[in-house]
Amino acid sequence: MRDHPFNPRRAKTLSTLFEQRVLELLPRLRRFAVGLAGHPADGDDLCQMTIERALSRRDQWQEGSRLDSWMYRIMRNIWIDECRARSRRMETFVDEEAGLSVGSDGGQEALVALGDVDRAMAKLPEDQREAVLLVMVEGYSYKEAAAIVDCPVGTLNSRLVRGRDALVALLGGEA
Amino acid sequence: MSISPEELAAYADGELANDALARVAAAIAADPDLLRQVEVHRALKARLSGHFAPILEQPVPDRLKQLLVGTGDVVNGDGKGGVIDFATASARQRARPRLPGWNWGGVAIAASLVAALTFTTMGSRDSTGSYAGAKLAHALETQLVATQPSDAQPRVMLSFRNGVGEFCRAYGSSKASGIACRDAKGWRFEALGGATANSDSEFRMAGSEAEVLAVAQDMASGPALSAEEEAAARASGWTD
Repeated sequence: MRDHPFNPRRAKTLSTLFEQRVLELLPRLRRFAVGLAGHPADGDDLCQMTIERALSRRDQWQEGSRLDSWMYRIMRNIWIDECRARSRRMETFVDEEAGLSVGSDGGQEALVALGDVDRAMAKLPEDQREAVLLVMVEGYSYKEAAAIVDCPVGTLNSRLVRGRDALVALLGGEA
Repeated sequence: MSISPEELAAYADGELANDALARVAAAIAADPDLLRQVEVHRALKARLSGHFAPILEQPVPDRLKQLLVGTGDVVNGDGKGGVIDFATASARQRARPRLPGWNWGGVAIAASLVAALTFTTMGSRDSTGSYAGAKLAHALETQLVATQPSDAQPRVMLSFRNGVGEFCRAYGSSKASGIACRDAKGWRFEALGGATANSDSEFRMAGSEAEVLAVAQDMASGPALSAEEEAAARASGWTD
């Protein structure tokens, strides 16, 4: 047996456990955030807001339940609120991207990272985009995805199909 | 008997079971057009996964990490606090004499938790060592902290190098926790502890994991591996 005189370092480790687990989730959280927001910089802003809210509500997370689902739900709710509150700005944002993608000769660096998939995703309604992301990118089951966006499984299923069909049409038939 | 697009999507995503699965599978077998639709669905899924996958490999911006490290540093607030920066904490620890029974006052609750734990480190006299079994070894060999499912069993908490340069990984599961280092023979146990998940109480769980991380701090010769370093280490077979 190892002797364990108590020292403050252990207390620090205890108090940072939640942070440590969120830290491990960060790459996945960023992926979902970029997918929702459609742009890396907006995605990281969304990620930051999500982390801040999660830290402030950490006592609401139930130990033993999935931390990733809980964080995704927070992120998704922040994003929906943002979209509702600033819908005018978001429309402008999407229009700008659509315009750039058509009108530009590709000389602008910002466009390099914006591929066909990003543009097609940007055209989906929010409810379809999040369903597509949760199932097709994040790999959640329909039931888990429905719990994250707080809708019935059948609704999730139909949003997924509508989003998928729109993407297939935009990306050219055989995906 | 017609198959709805929703049922077909659910089939393609592996969501169906029993009667529904048999019914849709039979319909697909009899209709090449349904099969083609399933293939389109799966092709889109593969394309989307591939499109977003690189984000997992990108370094996480410091401003996001800063929100999570340093917030719990109750020691001396050097601005670098947090578990990840444990080489600093470990050096600080070595510089300070360890006093059994020292009263750290404000952290008495945590102290009682630590006292309740059992955690065994292997003595260096045990030169033959014992090694992780096939299932654990496979997890240690293949799982990356950044990409493993959050409910992975076992879950790798972090990776680091020990004093002789071996790669070591701290892990926890509903059955056991510990630290193992990779040598020529396999993953050699350096420390073994209790369950870190699904145990009888929330506090026990947190305590066990904290204990593993604390021992990892003592063993590490540098900071925990970043996601990229960990991926590179895996690619090299953890032998460098």
